[in-house]
Amino acid sequence: MKMACKGLQTGETLSSLKRESESLRKKLEEERRKLADVELNQAAEKVEVVGALSIKTRRLLKGHGNKVLCMDWCKDKRRLVSSSQDGKVIVWDAFTLNKEHGVSLPCTWMMACAYSPSGCAVACGGLDNKCSVIPLSLDRNENLAAKKKSVAMHTNYLSGCTFTGSDMQILTSSGDGSCALWDVESGQLLQSFHGHTADVLSLDLAPSETGNTFVSGGSDRRSNVWDMRSGQNIQSFESHESDINCVKYYPSGDAFASASDDSTCRFYDLRADREVAVYQKDSIIFGASTVDFSLSGRLLFAGYNDYTINVWDVLKGTRVTCLFGHENRVSRVRVSPDGTALCSASWDNTLRIWA
Amino acid sequence: MSGRTCSSGHVVQAQKLVDQLRVEAGMERIKISLTAADLVRFCQDHRRSDPLLTGISASSNPFKDKKTCRLL
Repeated sequence: MKMACKGLQTGETLSSLKRESESLRKKLEEERRKLADVELNQAAEKVEVVGALSIKTRRLLKGHGNKVLCMDWCKDKRRLVSSSQDGKVIVWDAFTLNKEHGVSLPCTWMMACAYSPSGCAVACGGLDNKCSVIPLSLDRNENLAAKKKSVAMHTNYLSGCTFTGSDMQILTSSGDGSCALWDVESGQLLQSFHGHTADVLSLDLAPSETGNTFVSGGSDRRSNVWDMRSGQNIQSFESHESDINCVKYYPSGDAFASASDDSTCRFYDLRADREVAVYQKDSIIFGASTVDFSLSGRLLFAGYNDYTINVWDVLKGTRVTCLFGHENRVSRVRVSPDGTALCSASWDNTLRIWA
Repeated sequence: MSGRTCSSGHVVQAQKLVDQLRVEAGMERIKISLTAADLVRFCQDHRRSDPLLTGISASSNPFKDKKTCRLL
C-alpha cells in the first residue's frame, strides 16, 4: 500500500514538473520574441559597406606531417602553436617561419592546443582525454615531451582548451559532454560544468572586461553560457540544425558567433538573449568548422569543410569575400592579438597567415 | 524497489530542468533595437584600429612584404 502511494506521488510530481517546464519554455520563447523589434541588419542600415579587402596569403607554414587540427597565437603577436593528427605540437615564429619548438606526443589527434598568457608554456590534448601543459624551454636541445605535465582528465576526448588569463588555470571542453576548470599546478578540478547532452566541441572565454563567463557549443546543437565561479548555466541557445563546431565571443563580450555542420554561422546577442543574424548562402553547403572576429568585430572569418574561408560582414549579414588557398578542410581560424593577420590551420597539413 | 528508484531519478532530472529554466526565465532581457545599436557602435568606434578591415600599409604590417630588407 505504501509503495503504491509513493508511486502515485512520484507520478504526480513528475507530471506537474513537466507542466511547469513546458510553461517556462513557452514563457522564454514569448519573452525573446517580444524583444525582436528590429533585425541586426536593419539597425546597421546607415553603416557604410565594407570596402574591398586586400587579404591574401603572406606566409605558408609547412612542417606538420598530417592534418593540422588546432592553433593558437601567442600574446607577442608573432609566435603561434599548432597541433596535428599525428601527435605533433609545433611552436612557430610566424614572421620568420622558424620552427622554435617541436614536440612529439604519444597520442594521435591532438585536437586542442593553447598558448599560455606568459608565452612560457603551451597546453594540448585530444584522444588521450587529457590536457597537458608543456613548459617551453630556451634550450633547443631539451626534450620537451619529458617535461609534459597532465593537468586535466576527462572521460572522453579533449575538444578545446584555454588558459583563463593567467598560466595558473585551464578551462577544457570534452567529448564526455562536460567542461571543466583546472588548477595547473596541482591538477585539481576547481569547477565542472554540466548541461550539454552530447559532446562539447568548443569553448571560448569572455573578454576579460566582461567578467567570469565562457560559452560552449556542442553536438547537442546548443550553445551555453556559463558562470565560471558557480558552474551555473546562465543562458542557453538552440537554433542551429546540426553540431556546433566552434563558438567565439564578439570583442565587446556582448555577443558571440558559432559555426556549425548545418553550413551556417550564427550570431547571438547576449543581452537580448537570442539569435540576431544567420550567415548563410545557398551556394555554401559544407559545414563550417571555425570562426573568429576581426578586432572591431565587423568581420567574421569562418573556415569551412569545402576548403574555403568566407569573410562575413557581421552587421549587414552579407559575405564580403572568400579566401581560397587551402587544399583540404579548414579546421581553425584565429586573428592575431593585434589584428594584423589571420592564421588558418588545415587538413592539408599546412597553416597560412593572411594579411 | 528498482521501479521506485527509477521514477525518483526521473523526478530529480525533471526538477533540475525546471530549476534551470527558472534561472533562464528570470533573466532581464533588452530589446534588440537597443542592443544592436550598441553592437554597431562598438564596430564603428573600433574600425580605425582594425587592420584587416581597413588594410594597413606594408610598412606597418610585419606580414606584408616590404621593398627593402629589414635586419631583425
